[in-house]
Parts: sequence; C-alpha cells; structure tokens
Amino acid sequence: MKVAYHSPLPPSRSGIADYSALLVPELAKRVEVELVRPGRFRRAPRADVFLYHVGNDPQAHGWIVDRLERRPGVVVLHEFVLHHLVAGRTLARGDARGYLDAMEREHGLAGRLLAHGVLDNRIPPLWETRPEQFPLAGDVLRRAQGLIVHSAFVAERARASGYAGPIWRIPHPAWPFPGAAPAPVRGQPLLGCFGHLNESKRIPQLLAAFSRLRARRPGARLLLVGALSERLARLDVPDGVVREDYVEERRLWSLMAACDAIVSLRTPTMGETSGSAIRALSLGKPLVVSDVGWFAELPNEVALRVPVDEHEAARLEEALELLAADAPRRESMGAAARALAEREHALATVADRYAAALEEAAGGAAVRDAVLAEVAQAAAEVGIGAGDEAASELAARLGEVALGAAFTVPEEGSPRR
Amino acid sequence: MQPSRGSATLRDSEIRRQLAPVRIAVCRPQVPFVRGGAEIFVDELVRRLRARGHEAEAVAVPFKWYPGARVLTQAFVWRLLDLSEADGRPIDLVVATKFPSYCVRHPNKVVWLLHQFRQAYELDRTPLGQFSESAEDRAMRRRVERLDAVALGEARKLFATSRNVAERLRRSVGLEAEVLPHPPQELPYRCDGYGDFLLSVGRLDRAKRIDLLIEAAARRRLEVVVAGEGPDRERLERLANGRVRFAGRVSEQELADLYARCRAVFYAPVDEDFGMVPFEAFLAEKPVVTTTDAGGPLEVVRDRETGRVVEPTVDAVAAALAIDEEDARAWGRAGRAIAEQVTWDRALDRLLA
Repeated sequence: MKVAYHSPLPPSRSGIADYSALLVPELAKRVEVELVRPGRFRRAPRADVFLYHVGNDPQAHGWIVDRLERRPGVVVLHEFVLHHLVAGRTLARGDARGYLDAMEREHGLAGRLLAHGVLDNRIPPLWETRPEQFPLAGDVLRRAQGLIVHSAFVAERARASGYAGPIWRIPHPAWPFPGAAPAPVRGQPLLGCFGHLNESKRIPQLLAAFSRLRARRPGARLLLVGALSERLARLDVPDGVVREDYVEERRLWSLMAACDAIVSLRTPTMGETSGSAIRALSLGKPLVVSDVGWFAELPNEVALRVPVDEHEAARLEEALELLAADAPRRESMGAAARALAEREHALATVADRYAAALEEAAGGAAVRDAVLAEVAQAAAEVGIGAGDEAASELAARLGEVALGAAFTVPEEGSPRR
Repeated sequence: MQPSRGSATLRDSEIRRQLAPVRIAVCRPQVPFVRGGAEIFVDELVRRLRARGHEAEAVAVPFKWYPGARVLTQAFVWRLLDLSEADGRPIDLVVATKFPSYCVRHPNKVVWLLHQFRQAYELDRTPLGQFSESAEDRAMRRRVERLDAVALGEARKLFATSRNVAERLRRSVGLEAEVLPHPPQELPYRCDGYGDFLLSVGRLDRAKRIDLLIEAAARRRLEVVVAGEGPDRERLERLANGRVRFAGRVSEQELADLYARCRAVFYAPVDEDFGMVPFEAFLAEKPVVTTTDAGGPLEVVRDRETGRVVEPTVDAVAAALAIDEEDARAWGRAGRAIAEQVTWDRALDRLLA
C-alpha cells in the first residue's frame, strides 16, 4: 500500500517537520511512503491514500492544505485551532474575501462582521488575540476522509464541530534519548522549562512561582531554555534563573537530563502536543503542566496539573515545592513517565497505529461495501425488505462488530483491558 | 434438596457442581469434512460438562474464509445467532472457542481461545497468509482485527489455551487472557516400550512441517509413521518416496498403539497455538522432538528434559531424532509428570468460576 505523505520536513524548523523525520523511516517499514514536496506545478503522485499533516503555521502547512483541497485524504490534525493558517492562506495572499468567507462559514454573520473589523484595523487580529474562540478548522475537516489526532481534546473538538468521519487517536512518538550526559548545571532542585517561550507558556506565572520557591530554597535554579518573545524578553528575571536561547538537539537533551523536574505550561492551548513534555517522559522526568488540552490528559502518576485560574501562580508554587521536597515522589513519577513513554509513545507502536489507520482509510470503504452487498443479497433472498424490523436488526448487528460503517474506530479506552 | 451440614467440607467447586447445573452452549466453527484438534476439544469439553451435571451442547456453524470479504460475512453469521435461550429456556453460559465463533452475542460469554484468525495476524505476509498487498485486502485484515477487539473485548472472561495464544492476543488487540490449558483427548494411553520408529500425528498440511521430519529421518535411515490426513499428503508421499508409512486417519485404538510403541514423537508446526500432540505423547511416556519456532509446544517440551528442541533445519532435526532408549524413557516420564498436572477437573473449575 502506498501513502502520499505531505508534511514539512527538515531543514524546516518546525515541530511537525521533526515529527515526520522521526516517524517516516519507521512507517516506511510498514507501508510504502512517497514524500510529497511543495511546488506549485508538481503532479499528485499515484497512491492508495493521501496523508496531510496540518498545523497552524501557514508557511509550513499552507501548501499542504492547498493539496488537500485538490484531493481529500487523511489529515493529521496536530492542533485544532487553525486560525493563523487560514489567515495566512487568505489575507497574506491578498484574498480578503477568502478570510471573510471562512469566518462566515464557521461563525455566521457575526464572524463575517468581526473579520471586517480585523480588515479595517478596528479590532486587533483575532489570530493573535483569541484564536481559540475562532479555530477555523472547518475547511480542513470538510476535506478530511479521516483524522489522526494526538489527544482526546482535539478529537472532542472535532466531533463537537460536527466532524462525523473516523478519528484515530495516535499518541505523539517519543524521540529516542540520544544518550547525552546531563549538563553540569546544579540546583536543589534544578527545574527546567524548554521550547519557544512565547506568551502561551505562562512565563510570568512561572517566574513568580519560582521566585517564591527560591525565597525558601536558595539552592533552587530554573533553566529557561528557548527563544523568548519580545515582550517576555523585557521581563525581570529573578535570581536563580539560567537563560539559554535556542539550543541544538543534543544540548537540549543534555540540559533536560540534568533537571529534577520539567515545567510545561500552556494557555491558551490550540490542542497541540508538547515536544519537550514528550522528551521529558522519555527521560523519566516528573512534569508540571497546565490542566488544559493535551496536557490535562497526562496521567496523575507522571504529571502535576496546575489549573489555569487566579490561583495559578500559587498552585504552581505548591507543585514545585512538592517535587522539591519529595525525592521518592520524583523517582516514582519519573519511573511512571518512562513506562508511559515506552507503552504509549514508542515509535514502533505509533507507526503500527499509523499503518492500521492508513490501511483502514485506503480500503475500508471497499470492504464495507463488499460485506454489505453480500449481507443485503442474503437478506433479500429470504424476503427481508428495507423497512423490516429484521433489516434494522441486521444493521444494528453489523454496527456492533464494526462492519456497518466505512470506518469504525472504537471509543478511546475500550475494549482493551 | 438443601446440602447437609456435613457438605460444608466439600470444596467450593464440588458444591457448585451439585447446586448449579447450567445450560451451556459451546461454540465452534465447523469446516465441513475436516476434523481436527478443535473438534476433539469441543466434543470432550461438552462431554466433561455433562459429566458434571450441566446441560451442555456443541453449537457449530460452517465456516469458509475465502474469497475476499467472505471471512467477515461468515463471521457475521455468528453475530446473528440468538443463543439467549433455546426452546423457551435460557442458555446460561456461552463458551466460544475460536474465530469466528466468539462473535456470538450473549450476556454471559466466556471465551476459551484456541486461536484467532491466524492469517490476519502472525501468518500475514507469509506463504501461509491470505491477504494480499491490495488496499482492500489490507483493510480486510484490519477489519478482522477490529472484529476481534470488539467480540473478544465484550467477553465476560477470556482464557487462552496456551501462553503463546495469550501472548498473540495481547500483541494483536491488547487484550489480556488467563492461560488455561486443557488435557488431550482421552485415549488408552500406555507405554509398551521404545520401538525403532518415529511418529508424527496430526493434519497433513504445510504448517505442520512433516516434510522436515521426512527429510531428516531419511538422512539417518530412521523409520517414520505418519498418522493423519490432509491436503499435503500427496506432496509428502512423493517426498518420502516409499520410505515412510502413511497410516492415514487412524482409530483411537490404533493411535494409542502407535504412541505406545514409538521411540519418540515429532511435532514441529510453525508457531503452533498449543497443540495436543505433546501431551498425548507424554501420557504415553514418549519424548517429543520439536523446533525453536514451534510456538505453543515449547511451553512443555524442554530440550533434554522432555524431548529435543532444535533449530528448524534438516540437519538439526536429523541429529535430534537419534534418541537412545534410555533418554527416551527418562524424557518421556518427565513429560508424563507435566501432562498429568493438566486435568479437566482443574480446567473446568476455572472455566466455570
């Protein structure tokens, strides 16, 4: 079976490019993969199924959605909120009408009026101020024959927006630990926060909580690693914070390996998965996360979840103190994190689940038709008509054993024991 | 009748036996004109349940798994059966055994798994597989997987006849099953000594790899008796070129005689589910020669303890077949001690618990 695989790839500096670089070699052991490159005049390859990785960055994913519009396929929805992508594919290409139409399709006339407000500079751009309220995922969902998501959060948002196709929840694969030695950074405890440090990472709240922790524990240090946004760069950084800008992959692992716990906060969430949280699981590091989106789905054994409300900084401080004070707890959370990474995020397992989803997507409808045709013929031969009770029972039984729909995906958590 | 006070000393299972006769439907697919281990197992299970005072009945539905989507439609036939009651009286328990009989619906469904549809799993993409690389065939295989996840997942309890079967189940659909082995068919097992021939028992198909035995035995000019019928017989007879006695389907008495007189038993299918042959051989105090990739038999055949376990090559098997009488006796007796631990009584206690 051949898959036409659409994704940003390295050297593109995108998390999804890294994701595909990790996944593709393993997936190619299971199905034939043709990597599709951007290019306006490229012809679509021949394939049994078309796979599109969709994220919110228009530069990385604009061409992929262009291809999706030409040919439907399975969409890997890395995040649910695609407002920035839609704005990039319309306004940035000089297509104001396209943006107005997209807003109206999903949010009615009020949406169109708001979009006009944006175009006339009367209100700030919605993709910067409140994109989570206007996710604009509808156009992508309408073209998706199936969805692959990483979290129940995104799956539920897709269903709530009316998506009726199959959804496969496939966890984000874990990067193999390259074996980097822990960096010589000391702290009691040593905490870390990694990634693009923008407004959604709750840096002010983290710094406030850390500074109170350090007042009690002078040995505490916080590694703050990653490019800071302009506004955050102006923040006062308390004592004990060690800053590093963007670091190469090996240095990133090395710094993470030195930490006692890793903080990965997020609000608002677009439904995305955190690459640094996944790395933390692989390393067996306890996590402190925001109680939102994908982060809220991490089990208690591996993560302390901090609600995003007016008590956020206080709760965060409590979580940091708990981990600082309780070494056995850090140990057990670390062991559970490693076990979770091996169980749910192992690359081979993820590739197996991709192969299963793609195989079902490619041939599932034909199988369904073949089964239904044979059952229907047998039913007709014994005089069961379309409106009969017996026909309803046939349909119910077919549904029960996953033979009734073109694709049937079991509800998460069932029926595994 | 209420049990007397004295009966409080009876074991729980015995009390259950006396107080709770139930109606049990034991389900199995039936390939017309074929009789093998599964059929023997179900018949014996029904007989044993009846001996305990239960009302038990085998329910069989013909099964054909080709071409195309027929594997799914034939499985679906089980889903339409109504085994909630029979003749106006409820059926209390359904025991399903192998694909696709476990697709049956029942509120008290217990599965004692002999095997799933192996062509969709460990045999896929091997010469013994069924599904091609076409998109439809690949999706069909996934549908079988999904069907298993639903039908086995809804069972009140899952047992597997061997660790091998349980492990396959866990790997394929993520379900955990308790391992519950069962004894072989009842025969007048005995040991009349250690004759100069090697015995193969079972259906003659490629997966049983009797060709390996024939070629290995020819190297050492050892006598071989092959008991059983199957589609591979003609090819095997050509390969044997008159050096092997093909006994065909034998009576129970003849089979017991063959076990009683042979030197050792060869049994090396590819990744077998469990296989009753090693237990049958052990009950006749005969060692078993098998291979490292045989699957279920490796749970009881241990190299130089209860037989020989060697690489699946003609050279290795040829060397392993040369077992002297002393070793054959020691290993056969050790095997018997293992086989005697597996009794219907124990198995039914767990099945009905």
